[in-house]
Amino acid sequence: MSNAVRVKLQGISKHFGTVQALKPMDLDVEPGELVALLGPSGCGKTTTLRIIAGFESPDTGNVLIGAKDVTDSPPNKRAIGMVFQNYSLFPHMNVAENVAFGLKMGGVDRDDRTRRVRDMLELVRLGKFEDRQIHQLSGGQQQRVALARALVTNPTILLLDEPLGALDKNLRERMQFELREIQRRLGITSLLVTHDQEEALTMSDRIAVMSEGQILQIGTPTEVYERPRTRFVSEFLGTSNILSATVRGEVRSGIWAVGFDFDPQAQGLVAMPGPVATGAQIQLAIRPEQMRIAEPADGSLRAQVQDVVFRGSYYAYEMAVSGSDSPMFLYSHARLAIPADRQVSLSWSPESAIRLSDLT
Amino acid sequence: MNRERVGPEAAATPRKSWRYRLANMSWAIPALVFLLVFFVAPLIGNIVRSTTEGAAVTSGASIYYQKLLFDSYYSGVLLQTFKVSLITTIACLVIGYPISYFMVRYAGRWNTLIVFCLIAPLLTSIIMRTFGWNVIFARRGLMNVWLMGAGLISRPLDTLNQPIAVYVGLVHVLVPFMVLSITSVLQGIDIGLEESARVLGASRLRAFLSVTLPLSVDGIATGCILVFVLTNGSFLTMLLLGGGKVTTLALLIYQQFSVTQDIGFAAAMGNVLLVFALLCLALQARFVRRGGIKT
Repeated sequence: MSNAVRVKLQGISKHFGTVQALKPMDLDVEPGELVALLGPSGCGKTTTLRIIAGFESPDTGNVLIGAKDVTDSPPNKRAIGMVFQNYSLFPHMNVAENVAFGLKMGGVDRDDRTRRVRDMLELVRLGKFEDRQIHQLSGGQQQRVALARALVTNPTILLLDEPLGALDKNLRERMQFELREIQRRLGITSLLVTHDQEEALTMSDRIAVMSEGQILQIGTPTEVYERPRTRFVSEFLGTSNILSATVRGEVRSGIWAVGFDFDPQAQGLVAMPGPVATGAQIQLAIRPEQMRIAEPADGSLRAQVQDVVFRGSYYAYEMAVSGSDSPMFLYSHARLAIPADRQVSLSWSPESAIRLSDLT
Repeated sequence: MNRERVGPEAAATPRKSWRYRLANMSWAIPALVFLLVFFVAPLIGNIVRSTTEGAAVTSGASIYYQKLLFDSYYSGVLLQTFKVSLITTIACLVIGYPISYFMVRYAGRWNTLIVFCLIAPLLTSIIMRTFGWNVIFARRGLMNVWLMGAGLISRPLDTLNQPIAVYVGLVHVLVPFMVLSITSVLQGIDIGLEESARVLGASRLRAFLSVTLPLSVDGIATGCILVFVLTNGSFLTMLLLGGGKVTTLALLIYQQFSVTQDIGFAAAMGNVLLVFALLCLALQARFVRRGGIKT
């Protein structure tokens, strides 16, 4: 579809009673792009989606779909496709009637309707299910009917509200790829609301991480995962080791040495562009899979294995760091041959330590 | 490990022996005895009475039933009964559905208060509530005083002892049953269904007509049949507010007892009313099972 449109939110805000659900917020979704709104429950992601759909009207700001300002249009005038969290399929209609509903409302004649419903069910691989009742379908099939129903009217944009939340893990992973594939093929501008970081990482072109009614960071999955700006973003997208550190000085160009409060002897290396004041307090985030183990040496962080958990594709090590109360985590694909009482040193490549913008 | 040695047959043996089942059934005996003595026996007595007393002795066992069905006065009363019940049911539905819809969709925390307001009158005697309307509708009653005070009418309206007073009284008493029946079904309808209809291009009204209304048919059917059957059996409202203008079967039974004392005829009428009620219940059981929607 070449007529994909841009979605623009300008200064949208919303409060319910005394609760500020959404602080004034801007968001641009490029034509054909899939943007995920990721955050814990109550962060305002669903409110944002419901404002775009027209179920809630914002206190301030405008919603633009394409060139059209739809802020004051009712949901039925917005030409939106939406997949609901629990699918919201009509239980008194069969599969074909569910999919045809939007076409019927749009005044499409019967023959055309039948043909388009058939094509769409073919697309979501439910070709032979036209006459089935909704309660006869599995969760995954219901999910596909919901998608077909949302797409059959050729909507300008697609809204997905936790679309895979009700499926079991295996099916969810398969559907993530399938949904993504269909969205790419149609080239439809889409917004996905989810609290599942894996789903957001897998499916979207860009992720907007939300907390307490604000977008904290927006970027490609790699950007937000590898270069989180705040502790919240870093921790929400997976396990992260957060360290408070003091800058000691530049070791070589762009690589700085930092010291740790809990162990004055130890020192770590961090890649930071630009000048940083010596003695500055900073916060670091290091992903567990970036942590390395070595023989203890002078000036290294010393630690002992506290616990090991086998997680299927990797081993998760909980390391007790000498001098520190909070453990650090290390993920390894191979089992490490270290006895429990052995002291080792923890290290990382300077580039994998991310300086967070939070104040300490 | 032990289970493997015992084998699957052992695990499949039904644990409930006949002794256990019998012991379970014995719990129902007090209720059964009670129903037999105070419900089934009187009903049988009623059937016997309607064919063996009064005119039935001299003019044949089925004389009362023949009279009820073929005498133009009595068949007129049967028709009137049906008409009153039908109008009351429709009025209750038209008034009750919006209330239910409001309660479920918009009332929020006020819901409890509305339910209380609906149930509280049921705790007052129906006679008290009906006399209340007497006070309002009387020639010098509240309604006329207010309307005349507001200058809307020049002479008092003659509302009491008219069919309209009976309908108002019946709807007032019966609307809670309709509201509660519909509410319980509406509560089970996910608001997301209406929202998805809206997003798919349906206006508010169309979303309601094509999604919410068909899904609430069960509640409507239950409420309607309940109100219909209850109207069939009411006579106090007709007696106190109708002034003899609205004669239904139930009122006639009351009169057979208190005025003519023709017990056999009263019994026959009671049985006809009972058949009415049973037909309605059968209809309801069939309707609700057919229309029952599994979500």
